[in-house]
Amino acid sequence: MRVRSIFGVLLLACMVGGLAVPCESGQAQTIKIGHEVALTGPNATWGQSEANAVKMAVEKVNAQGGVLGRKLEIVAYDNRADRLEAVNVAKRLVEQDKVVAIIGPAQSGVANAIREVNNSAKVPVIATTATNPKVTVQDNGAVVPYTFRVCFIDPFQGTVAAQFAAKDLKAKTAAILYDVGDEYSQFLAKYFVEAFEKAGGKITTNEAFRSGELDFRAQLGKIKYGNPDVIFVPTMQKEAALAAKQARDLGIKAKLMGGDGWGSPDLFDLAGPAIEGSYFVNIAALEDPAIQDFIKEYRAKHKEDPVLPNPVLAYDAVLWLVDALKRAGTTDGEKLKAAMEQTKDLQVLTGKLTVDPKTHNPLNKPAVIQETKGGKFVYVKTFVTTD
Amino acid sequence: MVLQTIITGLSIGSIYALMAVGYSLVFSVLNFSNFAHGAIITLGAYIAWAIMVQFLRVPFLPALLLSVLGAGILAFLNERIAYSTLRRRRAPSLYLMISAMGVAIALQNLLYATIGAKLYALPPVFAQDSFEVGGATISRMDLFAFVFSVVAIGLLHCGLMYTKVGTAIRAASHDMEMVSVLGVNLDVLVAVLFLIAGGLGGMAGVFMGVKYMVYPSMGWITNKAYIGAVIGGLGSLPGAIVGGMLLGLLEALVSVTTIGSVQLSTYRDVFSFGILAILLIVRPTGLFGRLVEEKL
Repeated sequence: MRVRSIFGVLLLACMVGGLAVPCESGQAQTIKIGHEVALTGPNATWGQSEANAVKMAVEKVNAQGGVLGRKLEIVAYDNRADRLEAVNVAKRLVEQDKVVAIIGPAQSGVANAIREVNNSAKVPVIATTATNPKVTVQDNGAVVPYTFRVCFIDPFQGTVAAQFAAKDLKAKTAAILYDVGDEYSQFLAKYFVEAFEKAGGKITTNEAFRSGELDFRAQLGKIKYGNPDVIFVPTMQKEAALAAKQARDLGIKAKLMGGDGWGSPDLFDLAGPAIEGSYFVNIAALEDPAIQDFIKEYRAKHKEDPVLPNPVLAYDAVLWLVDALKRAGTTDGEKLKAAMEQTKDLQVLTGKLTVDPKTHNPLNKPAVIQETKGGKFVYVKTFVTTD
Repeated sequence: MVLQTIITGLSIGSIYALMAVGYSLVFSVLNFSNFAHGAIITLGAYIAWAIMVQFLRVPFLPALLLSVLGAGILAFLNERIAYSTLRRRRAPSLYLMISAMGVAIALQNLLYATIGAKLYALPPVFAQDSFEVGGATISRMDLFAFVFSVVAIGLLHCGLMYTKVGTAIRAASHDMEMVSVLGVNLDVLVAVLFLIAGGLGGMAGVFMGVKYMVYPSMGWITNKAYIGAVIGGLGSLPGAIVGGMLLGLLEALVSVTTIGSVQLSTYRDVFSFGILAILLIVRPTGLFGRLVEEKL
């Protein structure tokens, strides 16, 4: 006990000392990278895991000699996933810590909130899981110069689902049931229709409902009439569960498909056996063979599973940044940004990363397909779309 | 496909009707719209969830009975706590309605604060849920809910027509003051009224929980039931049933209609509320309503 408390005091002293003296080695040569992350609050589960992953990635880079002959240093501040707090954090990172780039934030709304700060200071931001299209592309279609993201945008899931249905499920016909009051659902449906028709498929019925409704049997009855191979239901787990139950009640045998909104464990409690044998698109899965080394390392270090998808994407963001720094040969914001835009076929954890300079989104980002089987999400494959 | 749509419409309509009856019963006597009814329905569903899923494994029928009882008692308490003082003070019905809205919001937020926003499902009643009739699929649960609703409303009708309390309630719906002068204990009468309205609401809540799911804002759907009650004529029991059924049917038919390239399913609420607005202009008392001064 005593030994432990002495140890604690020592540890505390070290920490306080660490705060007071900027950097033990005192060199200004470290390259500082900011990390906007929710370490407390309702998003902390993902945030903590994301912070761990960023540290792991940076340690690895540093062990291999760092970048441009300098070591990386992560400056992580808690933004509680709160927009106001995130702006404060961004200002502190940019003005006081003088970071060269910022990893995070994870939430679309938060990424939009800090846009002014990082763009006027010309500090690139790589949002981790901010999937709303507007994070990197403004309403007028212009790209936000210094904001990037490492995840795919929401609507892209519609493309993935359509191509997977056409190629892997060999579906010739598809029907859609989407929520007309929800942007996420609307865009997924739109992209699905485009990609499915491009792949030679036929949309038999395209039906919608209004947010908050519980009964889709009228629409499903119409869908049944068209006898489609698959039904795409790009909604949250609640509507997906209702649609599955009601579809099976109506005797519809078609396979159901959805987006990452389905990926909540209570899907099975809500839908029961009706949801079995359905497929949905997700950002990451623990069983993904490509990330097994990372997961093993993470488990060894933190004695628990990473909370996906944030850690994987944040890890990719670090790799992306390191690669861009190397190619830019400098930490200058403008040049770094240009190098980030030119990223092509970079090997990261989740596959190959190519960035679209017009949107700052990854191109043909690999997505994970999961199946609902035996009351669990089962990894099917990592799917890469084609243009 | 038309047959299927009609069946779907009737099954949705029967739940609307069951909920609309609760609105109409209270309105007929107390002359105000009890917007807390939606919260009572929600609580009825949560009672069923608590005893069927969370704490015990009570089978469906006893659980239904207990939920009906529980929701009835909650409605009674709701009246005692929130309305009775206003009622005795002869407050305008607007005050009662505002109090009801307050109760509805408070109860819903109480659920958010205690149990949380998580969604729950009630276990299915029938293992094999649907069967085919003439090319249309009918869900057993729907049929069950339909029959149960009809029986419950039928019993209520008999109770109102042939029992002493029922007669008193009917009399009170014409003139509450007079009934009280004639020696009817109004407190007892109103208590019975809320027990019945709450019980029917609890039943509707359990059916909804089985058919859909249980969550704090599920009472939202009672807006539709309320429209049903208004269409039929607030305060009229047959009106509530016909109005609820009609609305369910109409919604189902609208949902599968396409005009040109426009699918009307997304316009479902525009239709429901639009019809309400038009009806109130053309026939302010609804289909079966009688003239009253205040309709809030």
